Amino acid sequence: MLAFLVPLAGLLVLSLRPTDAMNNPLPGLTLAQYGEVFSTPYLWGSVVESLWLAVRVSLTCLVLGFPVAWYLARSTSPVGKAVVFVVTLSPLLTSEVVRSFGWRVVMAGEGPVNVALQALGLTDESLPLLRSPWTVFLAVVHVLLPFAVLALSASLGAIDANLLRASADLGASGVRTFRSVVLPLATPGVVAALVIVFSLSMGVYVTPMLVGGANQSLAGLRIQTEAMVAFDQPRAAALSFVLLTVTLVGCALIGLLGRAAERGRRG
Amino acid sequence: MEIRGLSVGYGGPPVLELDELTIEAGEFVSVLGPSGCGKSTLLSVLAGFVAPTTGTVAIDGQDVTHVAPNRRETGLVFQSYALFPHMTVRRNLEYGLRTRRVPRAERDERVADALRLVHLSDYADRYPQQLSGGQQQRVAIARALVTRPRVLLLDEPLSNLDAKLRRQMRHELRELQREVGTTTVFVTHDQAEALALSDRVALLAHGGLEQLGTPEELYRAPRTRFTADFVARRTCCRCARRTGGARCWAAPSRAPSGPRPSRCVPSTSCSSTPPAPRPPTVPAPGTVPRAHGPVRGLHGRALRVPPARRRRHRAARVPARHAALRRGRAGRDHVVRRRPPAPRDGDVTTPPVPADPAAEAPASAPCGRRDAGASCAVTSRRSRPPRSSCWRSSCRSPVSSC
Ligand SMILES: Nc1ncnc2c1ncn2[C@@H]1O[C@H](COP(=O)(O)OP(=O)(O)OP(=O)(O)O)[C@@H](O)[C@H]1O
Ligand SMILES: [Mg+2]
Repeated sequence: MLAFLVPLAGLLVLSLRPTDAMNNPLPGLTLAQYGEVFSTPYLWGSVVESLWLAVRVSLTCLVLGFPVAWYLARSTSPVGKAVVFVVTLSPLLTSEVVRSFGWRVVMAGEGPVNVALQALGLTDESLPLLRSPWTVFLAVVHVLLPFAVLALSASLGAIDANLLRASADLGASGVRTFRSVVLPLATPGVVAALVIVFSLSMGVYVTPMLVGGANQSLAGLRIQTEAMVAFDQPRAAALSFVLLTVTLVGCALIGLLGRAAERGRRG
Repeated sequence: MEIRGLSVGYGGPPVLELDELTIEAGEFVSVLGPSGCGKSTLLSVLAGFVAPTTGTVAIDGQDVTHVAPNRRETGLVFQSYALFPHMTVRRNLEYGLRTRRVPRAERDERVADALRLVHLSDYADRYPQQLSGGQQQRVAIARALVTRPRVLLLDEPLSNLDAKLRRQMRHELRELQREVGTTTVFVTHDQAEALALSDRVALLAHGGLEQLGTPEELYRAPRTRFTADFVARRTCCRCARRTGGARCWAAPSRAPSGPRPSRCVPSTSCSSTPPAPRPPTVPAPGTVPRAHGPVRGLHGRALRVPPARRRRHRAARVPARHAALRRGRAGRDHVVRRRPPAPRDGDVTTPPVPADPAAEAPASAPCGRRDAGASCAVTSRRSRPPRSSCWRSSCRSPVSSC
């Protein structure tokens, strides 16, 4: 806890420092850095962009992860489970660099995707897939999906199979059982999965950097640029804090939504 | 309900094979058998969770072999109750009515009725975790009953309860079933429970039907060694002098490997050396002798009512109290079949005993060790005035209370 709070406090102080012409932090406290962040679209736009990416990634991971988690939690076939488990976790087992490089190969101008698209006649010339934000989106989903699956399958696996049978025995269709029994009981898992994926994708940096390059409008990349290219550390710190605050608010909202969903079903 | 040529396997060799099993409307049938003999499998097949490899299952004359569980209208009470933890008791009960699109007013009425039936009206807004095991079980039963299932299926619903609560619950369960009149299949591995509760008992062994018959038949005329062994094991009693009535101890269950004690032969095993035998007083036919005191039943009413009066009583009581539960279900007759008054819970009643059991039951050496079994305070129907001594005949009937 302390190890987490001390650097954070240091960062907060740093973000309040004024800077000289060479972007060196000076003594004293000012909100100028935050003013700068909120008045420069280049900076706050990156936070909005990150938020938008995180929302899409979280929802996609939830939708994709649910059936996989369901299979992992419910299947009786050990072989099938093992295969799905390894395939799902594979992004975590490979290094970020290798994985991102894999995406570069797949999405390259003469890569398999472009070749396939052209063979299918969907496009005539090779597409600049690597510069497309959708490639970054896919790559980020790919890394974060395992977290969603793990969080979901833990809570789905905890649902007593007899509850599902009881539901059917009481006349409920599969859809109804899902809506009235599975979803409510899986709510904690859904919230956990969303929070994990959301916060990780808000701060995602290496994958978009390696797949799409440094010139994208994402908060993680902008912070890196500010700190390491412009050497404006107070501004990078301020941007970090804005990002952190937005992330925390987002997580709180997810938690509240989960709570409200549970209460709504009960009431 | 009819089962024919049934064979069930979980993708492997069959674990359950039944040539034929017919359960009459309104009947209470126990399925008895050792662990792993396929009892739960049978219920799963009846409820539709497991598809049989061959054979058919028919309910009310309609073949339901390939009907999905949610269209079978069975009411399954799970061994673990399987109450929805995120719903209140009321919500749990409403669930089966909502899926059937029962209008709200009727739903409320039926739920209230069912709650009253299981004495849980005050607990409607609690969550299952906030209830005791016995209360949860009653919720589970009410949840199954409130939908007016065609068949009530109970999978060892009492096995999680302690001995005392268990006795009380099974009593209440049977009372409830009588009141509502639903065809019931009750799975248990406790022979005493099966013998005490059922109209008929189906004894399963090694995935097959070993014997089907009334408790009396199974107990008196076991067709196979297995039946004799299984049914008689715990009724092997030993009597002792006690003030105020007979007392018997269950015989120790046999060590799996050890030889069967030859003295524990079914139904002849209860004989201490009776002091100065007195001729047993045989109750007049048609009357049910009183046990020690009036035994309070489900509703705090004395249960021992002469049969004639009892029948009338039941007929008068049911529509009044549970009209809503009994009504509905178009085209189905829910009236309890007229049966001769079945024996009540074995705690206090036993199947009719031949006039002079001593004649057919030669005295044999006492069996059982008192330390090994539960002590049970069975009162013979014969011991109307509390007797200080106990006869071999006085605890030789299917005793349920050990
Ligand atoms: N899902 C399953 N897959 C494979 N075999 C099973 C499955 N369920 C049960 N069996 C097998 O079927 C047989 C009967 O099981 P079942 O659960 O019906 O026994 P039971 O009579 O209910 O026993 P108990 O009294 O212990 O509950 C057992 O040999 C068991 O191993
Ligand atoms: Mg079982």
